[in-house]
Amino acid sequence: MVKRTRAAHRLISEGAEAKLYGARLFGIDAVLKHRARKEYRIAELDERLRLQRTRSEARMLYAASSAGANVPAVLFLGNDKIVMERIDGRMMSAITAGGWSMRTMRGSLRRLGAQLAILHNAGIAHGDFTPANILLGGSGKVYVIDFGLAETTGSAEDKAIDIILMKRSIPARAYAEFVRAYRAEYAQSGSVLARVSEIERRGRYQARTLLSA
Amino acid sequence: MAVLGIESSAHTLGVGVVEGGRVLSNEKSMYHMGPGGIIPAKAADLHADNVGPLVSAALKRAHISVRDISAIGYTKGPGLGPCLRVGQLAAETIAAHSGIPIIPVNHAVAHIEVTRSMFGARDPLVLYVSGGNSQILAITDSPFRHYHVYGETLDIGVGNMLDNFARAADLDPAWGSSVERLARGGRYIQMPYTVKGMDFTFTGLMTNASRLLGGRPSRDVAYSLQETCFSMLCEATERALFLTRKSEILLSGGVAQNSRLRAMLESIAQSHGIRAHAAPNSLNADNGAMIAVVAEKYQEKGFRFPSKARGIDQRYRIDTVEIGW
Repeated sequence: MVKRTRAAHRLISEGAEAKLYGARLFGIDAVLKHRARKEYRIAELDERLRLQRTRSEARMLYAASSAGANVPAVLFLGNDKIVMERIDGRMMSAITAGGWSMRTMRGSLRRLGAQLAILHNAGIAHGDFTPANILLGGSGKVYVIDFGLAETTGSAEDKAIDIILMKRSIPARAYAEFVRAYRAEYAQSGSVLARVSEIERRGRYQARTLLSA
Repeated sequence: MAVLGIESSAHTLGVGVVEGGRVLSNEKSMYHMGPGGIIPAKAADLHADNVGPLVSAALKRAHISVRDISAIGYTKGPGLGPCLRVGQLAAETIAAHSGIPIIPVNHAVAHIEVTRSMFGARDPLVLYVSGGNSQILAITDSPFRHYHVYGETLDIGVGNMLDNFARAADLDPAWGSSVERLARGGRYIQMPYTVKGMDFTFTGLMTNASRLLGGRPSRDVAYSLQETCFSMLCEATERALFLTRKSEILLSGGVAQNSRLRAMLESIAQSHGIRAHAAPNSLNADNGAMIAVVAEKYQEKGFRFPSKARGIDQRYRIDTVEIGW
């Protein structure tokens, strides 16, 4: 099945971790994510990382979706490939770059806070929770994508990193809106947000300026 | 007019002379890293004994006298307090004696800038790897022109980890180049691998590797340790490369002397169709010329440092330094 559609695969984007191709599977618009071999590292380590991460990503997507989060459905899992549902939406980072209107973004930010609350409540830390991994659907639905660095975790630290990554990437007023919804929707938000302040006080983080790239 | 630079942040005392960006001399003396690692007070005593003769040697090698020096730079930090103090005091003494300006220099900035100017790299992505630090950086103009930290170690520097491992494995001298030699021809053992976005941690890996010693051939442990920690650094660097879209990579700092790490970074650069630069080993190891190179840049731009801006700072962060050239 996958083999037959490969000819039609079109490269959508290339990241450090994987290449994304457009695909169709079972009549569904899909995305194929392929973790290709990295020549710089030795084969044993390279293979272990690629297989482990692909498997873990599929598992995390499934766990997130079971918990009720808006994430792409997994359609097929190979050794170093995942085929998943294609989400139509605008990347939140494109909006971040183009300037913000709080009037139009308020609802999305609240829904984003609620999405992270669902993940954290299910014991999932996303690991790369930045605007580049948030899609805003036409219906106003907010999707979280790319679970390549996600982990099941009980630690407030891992969850706090999700909050900090988002905080560094969006304006302060937008962050306030996002975190208000997160606090309201997640019972243990108190300990996570306390950890956020603690991490920010640590020496290595203190002097870090806002990511401008 | 030439500029003198004094580096004394850790085990190496270095004195270099630079003129117009050209290195005229680069003398050094080193504290021997035995099984006890660096004892800061002992290293500082050794540096204090050597700094006078080393300054004379650097001037002699450059075929100039102290009257030909127009400014003197020293390492303000980061580094070990007692060691840094020796360099500062030597610089203050010479400066006071000859009435020339004294220029405090950030150690990390010096490592990077000496490589950047050598290759004429305008706007590279930098992997800076030394004993005390490991960071992924690039210059950004906001809110002022400085090296922005995209990713860094969340615990110890990679060089520190390799030195620690060298001690655990009873290598002599107990530092990274001995680990590199031991690792040749080793076989892979699985070890913990921790990258979080563009940040990384090394203590778990170090503990694991040290515990494997004795049970497994030390050559295999050293090999696997190097492969694991360098792969972590490279993965984070490649992620930063995708984010920043820079067209050059620059590798600098003491661990940049490792030929395996150089080869891995070269491989990443090749796969992106860009170039990777690393300075010759004499400039990657701690040295005085790199301090002089930066001091000369400050001087050319007319920077002045009153006494309250001097002193030493053991935790002097690179992203607080204005790159004013």
